[in-house]
Amino acid sequence: MSPSATAGLQAQPASRAGRREQLWSKAVSLILLLLVTAAMLSPLAFMVSTSLKTSKELLIYPPQLLPDAPAWGNYAELFRNGEIKFGQQYMNSLIVAVSAVVGTVLSSALVAFGFARYRTKASGFLFLLVLSTMMLPYPAIMIPQFLLFTKLGLHDSLLPLILPNFFGSAYMIFLLKQFFSTMPSELYEAGRIDGCSEFRLFWNLTLPLAGPAMATVAIFTFIGSWNDLLTPVLYLDSQENFTLPIGLASMMSSKFRLAPWNLLMAASMLTAVPIILLFAVAQRRFVEGIVLTGIK
Amino acid sequence: MNTTEKAGPFANSAAKPAGKLAKSAAAAALLTVVLSGCSGSGNSGGDTVTITHYTIDSPDRTFVEKLIPDFEAKHPGIKIKVTKAPYEQFDSKLQSAIAAKNSPDVTSQWGYGGFMEYYNKGMLMDLSPYLGDFKAADYHIPDNVMKIYEVGGKTYGIPLNSYVSVLLYNKDMFDKAGLSYPPTDYEDKSWTFDKMVEDAKAMTVDSKNLAEAQYGLDFGFGERDQRPQYFGANVYSDDTWTNGGKPSQVNLDKPEVIDAYKKIYGLIWDQHVSPSPAFSKSVAGQFGDPFLSGKIGMSVVGSWSLAASSDFNFKVGVAAVPQGPNPKVRSVLYIDPLFVLKDSKHPKEALEWIKYLVSTEVQKKSIDLSGGNPPVNQEAAEAYYAHFDGIDAAQIKQVYEGAYKYGFESYNHLIDNYSQINELFINELASVENGDKKPEEVLPGLQQKLQKLLGRVNK
Amino acid sequence: MKRTIGASQSRAFYAFISPWLIGFAVLTLLPILASLYYSFTDYDVIHAPAWVGLGNFRELFHDEQFWNSISVTLKYTFISVPLTLLLSLLLAILINQKVPFQGFFRTAIYFPSMISGVAMSLLFTWIFNPQAGPFNYVLSLFGMDPIPWLLDERFALWALIVMSFWGMGAGMLIFLAGLQGVPASLLEAARLDGAGRLRSFWHVTLPMISPVFLFQLIVGIIDSFQVFTQAYTITQGGPNYTTWFYVYNIYISAFKNFRYGYASAMAWLLLAAVLLITWFILKASNRFVYYEGSR
Repeated sequence: MSPSATAGLQAQPASRAGRREQLWSKAVSLILLLLVTAAMLSPLAFMVSTSLKTSKELLIYPPQLLPDAPAWGNYAELFRNGEIKFGQQYMNSLIVAVSAVVGTVLSSALVAFGFARYRTKASGFLFLLVLSTMMLPYPAIMIPQFLLFTKLGLHDSLLPLILPNFFGSAYMIFLLKQFFSTMPSELYEAGRIDGCSEFRLFWNLTLPLAGPAMATVAIFTFIGSWNDLLTPVLYLDSQENFTLPIGLASMMSSKFRLAPWNLLMAASMLTAVPIILLFAVAQRRFVEGIVLTGIK
Repeated sequence: MNTTEKAGPFANSAAKPAGKLAKSAAAAALLTVVLSGCSGSGNSGGDTVTITHYTIDSPDRTFVEKLIPDFEAKHPGIKIKVTKAPYEQFDSKLQSAIAAKNSPDVTSQWGYGGFMEYYNKGMLMDLSPYLGDFKAADYHIPDNVMKIYEVGGKTYGIPLNSYVSVLLYNKDMFDKAGLSYPPTDYEDKSWTFDKMVEDAKAMTVDSKNLAEAQYGLDFGFGERDQRPQYFGANVYSDDTWTNGGKPSQVNLDKPEVIDAYKKIYGLIWDQHVSPSPAFSKSVAGQFGDPFLSGKIGMSVVGSWSLAASSDFNFKVGVAAVPQGPNPKVRSVLYIDPLFVLKDSKHPKEALEWIKYLVSTEVQKKSIDLSGGNPPVNQEAAEAYYAHFDGIDAAQIKQVYEGAYKYGFESYNHLIDNYSQINELFINELASVENGDKKPEEVLPGLQQKLQKLLGRVNK
Repeated sequence: MKRTIGASQSRAFYAFISPWLIGFAVLTLLPILASLYYSFTDYDVIHAPAWVGLGNFRELFHDEQFWNSISVTLKYTFISVPLTLLLSLLLAILINQKVPFQGFFRTAIYFPSMISGVAMSLLFTWIFNPQAGPFNYVLSLFGMDPIPWLLDERFALWALIVMSFWGMGAGMLIFLAGLQGVPASLLEAARLDGAGRLRSFWHVTLPMISPVFLFQLIVGIIDSFQVFTQAYTITQGGPNYTTWFYVYNIYISAFKNFRYGYASAMAWLLLAAVLLITWFILKASNRFVYYEGSR
């Protein structure tokens, strides 16, 4: 598709026709893309506009595209309304996601380093075991895990959401191992001659070089944890311990008042902010990570 | 648990001065084990016993936290810890807490399931040995209400709140339609189901345009399986109320039950006086009550909706549920008791907390703190009747007394495995509620599925 | 950098991988085994598990709800996953035409994927709202009557499938990277051989990105076997069980109906199905998937 510099000299006319064809296909592509993009973004535009409507404007039909005057107060209301506990839930989500990132990055890096650097009798088999758990569906093991954590008295706390991250994630181990394997062994020899312990080799030599890969791991761990609904549904009981996904879901299902769509949409907007920020700051890592892991 | 006409008038319960509380037994022997979760807020150690009170996470329940300092001051040896769960998960969290040997001490039937389910699962403690000099009359709890939670002479729960069905109406809509307000007197023979539907018609504007549409009546009498009872038809065989909530027979194929459902859903699809689920969800969201939107003229609901009345942006009135085809049952009673769970290590102290909560003074205080929970304590009830701004106390009292007289306990408290049964009704009747199918098309299938379900859970 | 050495190295190896070893043993292997055990019992967590042999599996076989949840999940999977994949491939091809504002399109199409599943579910509940929602309003411009999407058993699952299209941004990014990874020299060679655009796409580009397609397909299928958020947040499995997804069924059986043993049996079947699918697709793929370099 890219016109190559070596395009045959003697094929001038064909090439002109080809160029016209290309122009056409570009124009058609452009129009199609504009349509698709409009379709993709319109729900989000509706989300923004709903988040700025007053409760009266919600029921106007046909739906207004723009509220008469943006009700920014909806956003403030989320934090002011003590019944919703939105601020507290935002905090909980941050605590869980950041702990998950720290836990996953550290533990996965350790494990990946182990697999990348050493070959023992069992390492091949063990790595295969790691790979085989990559596809393991969480619902298949959630019941015993749930019983285990409840027996430990950890129900209604953030710990069951955080702790499992400190034992490495198969995906991330795989990703980091690929990265570590590309590191030159001379590096380690030099380190050993300087008298570094194995752990120092990992901590002082490898980790600083693995920044980009770890950033990718961090981003996707954050997103996974930030958006998770099933685990908090199992473990969290009281509103002040909720993370955002379950908080949002339960805000909608309150039996005792009308569903506050404007507040719900405002809350959804604010929930998306950290992810959008991550994307804005680290778009390249982001895209790379998606491509490498296939995680959405 | 024989309940057909369990609730006579309460007023005749003797009004003795509150008896002295049973002395708290020597706690010293029991206090080594401190029940607490991970958060450790109740972990004060020393010579105290911690009682866990498990409740729904909504303001009308969590207010008990505000009572704790006063209670603890009066009972130095007892600490109270409140644990919470959302309504939808109330039962499952309770079960898992019990499984984790982390059972709360005190709770109620605040989830989908109810007394019978808890009782049959063996989750409840027999309180009789600990009751001592406890007398229902000392707490102004009517004897017949107290009896609801007795099985074979053993007491498993102490009543706390009593909700009933009420008819709430939007005064603004009545005024606009030029209708006179419905009566509060259950004995007013002119107030019939047909009259209610007639009034509803006068207020209804059945339109696709949400801004214009409004409906006269939202008939939320009990859950879906109890609703035919108002029309004199019973979904379950009578032995259900005496055998521990296990229906031996289901009557969904009986003509009178089918007719009842035709009447119920005919309100939406034949008479067009009731909102469709689509309308309700449009104005109120997934689970919200459309009455709050101001677009519903009358709503037959549990009296907990009254607690939200101060938030309504229209004037609200309370009336009797009208005389329907069933002369005996016109209201659903929801008597919430407090239970002590079987795994509680401190039943005596738990009972102290319960007695505190049903005492006249605290029941009165709870009305304001909760936003309007109806006390079971009949002395405190007077304060409840007077609690709602803009609604005459005498009217609420009259509605309550009528409801007690014509009341039947809510099925979810009486039937075993209720949440599964309820789930089945919700799903199977969805197409009828949406107007896609007629009740007579759906009920035979529901009959079969329900029998199968009951056969499995009650085997 | 791999080294095959003695005991101290071996000790270091196990030290490094110990977090995973412990996690695997306690949080994966143990639960899998426990789940297997529970699947042969009646267990309500209050009473001790009672051994029922194959009873749960036998009951599952006759359980309408179980088969229904499978059919709902499969229907969703086999419509949503291929369609989403094809659409995202198509979009990637369009963007790869060196259109102007490439970066904008890429970001815009990926944007909805950044909104969490719950927020997306809430948004679409509102969008599909039969009377106040914009979806029916748009349809009404074309003269269509309002459809009660999520409240109607004929449409609810379709509404969820439609909603899943807004998550195709990630797939698009992956395909785009795949397309951009196709060496220009190969395409050029095809062109010199006289192949048209369609032919060179069919014979050069498609085989080159087939591993990407395959991987996406596996992940897509396995993911949609585990749909839970939409059922929990939007439909509660209804109306009339038409969105009663498999994992939602597990959740309800275990955490609402307290049948942990029964639910474990279903969980185990899910595990087996996922393994089987992965194996099957990998096996079948040997025939038509082109791997760069070897094979």
